[in-house]
Amino acid sequence: MSTDHPKTPIMEQELRTLEHEASQDLERIDTANGLEEFRIRFLGRKGRFSAIMEQLKSVPKEDKPRLGQLANTVKKQVEQAFSDKKDQLASGGGPTAAQATAVDLTLPGRRPERGKLHPITQIMTEVCAIFESMGFSVAEGPDVEQDRYNFEALNIPAHHPARDMHDTFYISDSILLRTHTSPMQARIMEQQDPPLRVIAPGKVYRCDSDITHTPMFHQVEGFLVDTNVSFADLKGVLSVFTQKIFGADLPLRFRPSFFPFTEPSAEVDIACVICNGKGCRVCKKTGWLEILGAGMIDPEVFKQVGYDPEKYSGFAFGLGIERIAMLKYGIDDIRLYYENDLRFLSQF
Amino acid sequence: MKVTLDWLNDYVNTDGVSPQQLADHLTMLGLEVDSVEELFQELAPLKTALIISAEPLPDTEHLSLCQVAVGDETHQIICGAPNARAGLVTCVALPGTVLPDGTKIKKSKIRGVHSYGMLCSELELGLSQEHTGIMELPVDTGHGLSFIETLGLNDTLIEVDLTPNRPDCTSVIGIAREVAGITRRPLSRPVEEATLTIRDRRFSVDVESSELCPRYGARLISGVTIAPSPWWLRKRLLAVGVRPINNVVDITNYVMMEYGQPLHAFDFKNLAGGAILVRQPRNNETSFITLDGVERPLERDTLLICDRDRPVALAGIMGGLNSEVSPDTTEVLLESACFNPVSVRKTARRLKLATEASYRFERGIDPGGCVVAMERATQLICQLAGGTAETDMGRDLYGGVRPLNSLTLRISRTSALLGMTFDAETISELLQSIGIRTKQKDPDTLWVNPPTFRVDLDREVDLIEEVARLVGYNTIPTSLPTVHMSYPEQDKNRQLRAQAREFLTGAGFSEAINYSFSSSEHPQRMDISTDDSRLEQVKLLNPLSEEQAVMRTMLLPGLLENVQRNVSFQKTAVRLFEIGKVFTPTGHDLQPIEITFLTGVLSGNRHGTSPSLHSKPAPVDILDAKGAVEYLFEGLRLSPDTHDTAISFQVPDTAAVEPYTVPGQCLTIHDQTEQIGTLGKISPVIARKFGVKQDVYYFDINFDRLCSETPSRKNFNSLPVFPAVKRDIALVIPNHVPAGDLLKAIRETKDQLIESCEIFDVYQGQNIEADHKSVAMSVTYRSAQKTLTEKLVEKSHSKIVNMLASRFDGSLRQG
Repeated sequence: MSTDHPKTPIMEQELRTLEHEASQDLERIDTANGLEEFRIRFLGRKGRFSAIMEQLKSVPKEDKPRLGQLANTVKKQVEQAFSDKKDQLASGGGPTAAQATAVDLTLPGRRPERGKLHPITQIMTEVCAIFESMGFSVAEGPDVEQDRYNFEALNIPAHHPARDMHDTFYISDSILLRTHTSPMQARIMEQQDPPLRVIAPGKVYRCDSDITHTPMFHQVEGFLVDTNVSFADLKGVLSVFTQKIFGADLPLRFRPSFFPFTEPSAEVDIACVICNGKGCRVCKKTGWLEILGAGMIDPEVFKQVGYDPEKYSGFAFGLGIERIAMLKYGIDDIRLYYENDLRFLSQF
Repeated sequence: MKVTLDWLNDYVNTDGVSPQQLADHLTMLGLEVDSVEELFQELAPLKTALIISAEPLPDTEHLSLCQVAVGDETHQIICGAPNARAGLVTCVALPGTVLPDGTKIKKSKIRGVHSYGMLCSELELGLSQEHTGIMELPVDTGHGLSFIETLGLNDTLIEVDLTPNRPDCTSVIGIAREVAGITRRPLSRPVEEATLTIRDRRFSVDVESSELCPRYGARLISGVTIAPSPWWLRKRLLAVGVRPINNVVDITNYVMMEYGQPLHAFDFKNLAGGAILVRQPRNNETSFITLDGVERPLERDTLLICDRDRPVALAGIMGGLNSEVSPDTTEVLLESACFNPVSVRKTARRLKLATEASYRFERGIDPGGCVVAMERATQLICQLAGGTAETDMGRDLYGGVRPLNSLTLRISRTSALLGMTFDAETISELLQSIGIRTKQKDPDTLWVNPPTFRVDLDREVDLIEEVARLVGYNTIPTSLPTVHMSYPEQDKNRQLRAQAREFLTGAGFSEAINYSFSSSEHPQRMDISTDDSRLEQVKLLNPLSEEQAVMRTMLLPGLLENVQRNVSFQKTAVRLFEIGKVFTPTGHDLQPIEITFLTGVLSGNRHGTSPSLHSKPAPVDILDAKGAVEYLFEGLRLSPDTHDTAISFQVPDTAAVEPYTVPGQCLTIHDQTEQIGTLGKISPVIARKFGVKQDVYYFDINFDRLCSETPSRKNFNSLPVFPAVKRDIALVIPNHVPAGDLLKAIRETKDQLIESCEIFDVYQGQNIEADHKSVAMSVTYRSAQKTLTEKLVEKSHSKIVNMLASRFDGSLRQG
């Protein structure tokens, strides 16, 4: 062993003292501030440990590894003790520390503000998702439509009484606001050949305004064209849809109706969700609520787009989003949809 | 279409079928029943009463003091009717009764004498316009009995919401036919068949166009006495909402309801030349007075019924004042015709004159039924108005009636289209149950002859619908189609809309949906300048109101109205967005261009409805609007920070790009080729025009353009291995220099060591020269190859500092 250089024992002694004092100091510390002072005093850049380490430069070369190692061990121990103390304080520490850092947990959390999607968008998304999961693609068309697509191509010639079913907003003699999303049937079939499985969501317009009608509302039109599509298939697809959107146990019925562009035509009723089919004001005491119109696409419509009605058959359907939202959410006044009142929107 | 159960039972026996079951049957046959109600329930408390004595009430001119027996009770009632007399059986409303017109009967006192009820006239009961005296019931009617039962008024009204394809059901017989079919019971009609084989020479009938008037039948009935109709007839008309007038007119209405054939009775003496000519107006005929006393303008294509000299009726719509049946009529010419549906519809629409007759003609009446209905009406007029008519004599021009068509119906096609197996026998039986005759053609085909009243059946598919309807839609099985697997293309615009909605709701915005139409004043209210295309609007020809007169050219006005509404309901912290179309006209009779915009508004507290416990309320400012857009762009991967080719914000050169913004508080948003949007502060003057008194910020982006941008690719970069070094700079620069330019300049140095830079403080005030600001920035340096030495960082950093100082006339902040 070498003879000790004068600096060697001093440094060694100082390291041991530091280790002892640090551990004693830490014992007494009970606040985060005290702990930070401790860190600066012992471990800081200008702290005691750094000061001792300065001496390492001037010890003889042969002592350096040993002292270096010792210094390292001491530093690690002090750091460990410091970090243990820190954890202890953070997790409550002693009784005084708990009081000093107490949080009133009944206070509200810091919640990021979140807006709401319009209920129409929510239902529209849900409806589209159900049909998309069945392989339907989504197509959108113009709100301002030609008479030809809105009526003529759908077997509703001028001066047909069926036009009474559509209170139409006109822009000019041949341009109008679409009264249904059915024009997309003609537009798509004009461009594509079967097989087709398409839904067309969008805004539609009728000049009618009261507690149950707004001049603008939302529809989803859907159609499926292929060889050998039957009325039973229409019933199947729409039953699946109705059960997905309203729940599996809900009774539904199909009843004959009339649309110029379908034959046979049907309306689909669900058991009234307000009174469970017992009969109430909403269902006009019938126990049933009409939720969509449908039918087998009329051969006339096929002829207009150049499909052979002997070869192809298909069904089409249309449903009103406002109505579904009203039934699902219990909304009783359709005008609320377009007032954009946050007290309304925030409920969904 | 309204029918009563009692009336229906004239043609089909409904015993054992409850009104509700009947309604269900009809609904499931496609004749949707709107309501089933007991008739005259408001008259249920009324009783029959016998006047025992009637004495004039002293000191009055017309009043009588009556003692009235109502069953076991006797009531004292003061009555003002001239026909109140002892022995009369009439109708009494006792105190507490509410009459149809809303009058509540109370005990009263007249000249000190008490009166306990009211003896009623037909008018007071809502039964007719008759009010010259109280009702006179047959003397043998008992008293104290239910009034509605005694008069046979208790009946059930069924209202059917008819679809336009079923004109055959605009009649009680039509509905009865369906009931007969579903219950498999016989249908009987008062007149089954009739023809006019003898030409009546006392009058002439000519039709100019058999296309406009395929059939015209007429009969002359003499010796008629005009009088009120008997009670049973009036009762039925009242029940279905037709006002009784006189026996002849009532009979034409009654038979129209019964058979669905509109009829008209002319006063024959007023038909010049005893002639009927069905034609369009002559040049001098420009208007015509209908029997409701209104003068109607005539167009060239209005179809008229004329006598030798002048029009006497609007064909299929309404008769004329000049030839209507009046109390002194003795001879009537009865018309039963078939008019072109389109012609009637056009005229009725144009004149805004919808009548029971036009309703039926527009839909198409049974061309085979004209003479049958006329025979029925003739019989009733002879019976009830004392008329006489020669058997089989009249006129019947039927040149325009199409021959009956015969259709074929394939069993296999029916089964395939409905998804249910049928055989010929079942189909025939179903069709025959509602009067459609069939005959087997070959094993798979039936000949089908639709009856003339089913004008809606002229194709095979129409018959298939009948089969489906009659077998019952709910009997048809349920299956799922077998289809080819396919992968539907996703519409990018739609996907992006969904994403944008997600990000914006995440940023605290709620979604608004406003009407696509708006007030034409909106752009002006926003101070849009006269050369701006947003002033060119697509106008509605028939708007519901001025507020909805044009298709919108901007979304902002609607959203400002929404802000106003919310603020007025104390929701002062408003963040709303809308994704919707605006419309730009392209020319008359052309579809406009439709462009989707994304527009948002922010107003009030930045922290929304969060409790002020955590964040001191502070109003939003333009950087909130900018931040929302940045947040959205980052979400869509179009952020200028990560994607240096796509979208950028620019401070416009002119004071305000949008006239509705506050000068200096507007930013434009650009893609590489053009401006795609703006954001800024709405001028308080404009906001006030929308009733908003607090500051509003907005952003407005052409969403279709946004959809055409290419989002930055998701590309992995290795995580840095070497530490970063951060250096701060505090630079004092003249106020007018935009701080953002400093960052831009740093980025543009392209120094490889600079990883990022940001502004963390902008300060003005103490220790800073006037008109100057101190901008504190932090620059992060990092190398991918090594740990940076002090020296290397210093070299880059001092370059940056010097560059900034010299380029922006800045100096390093002291202290």
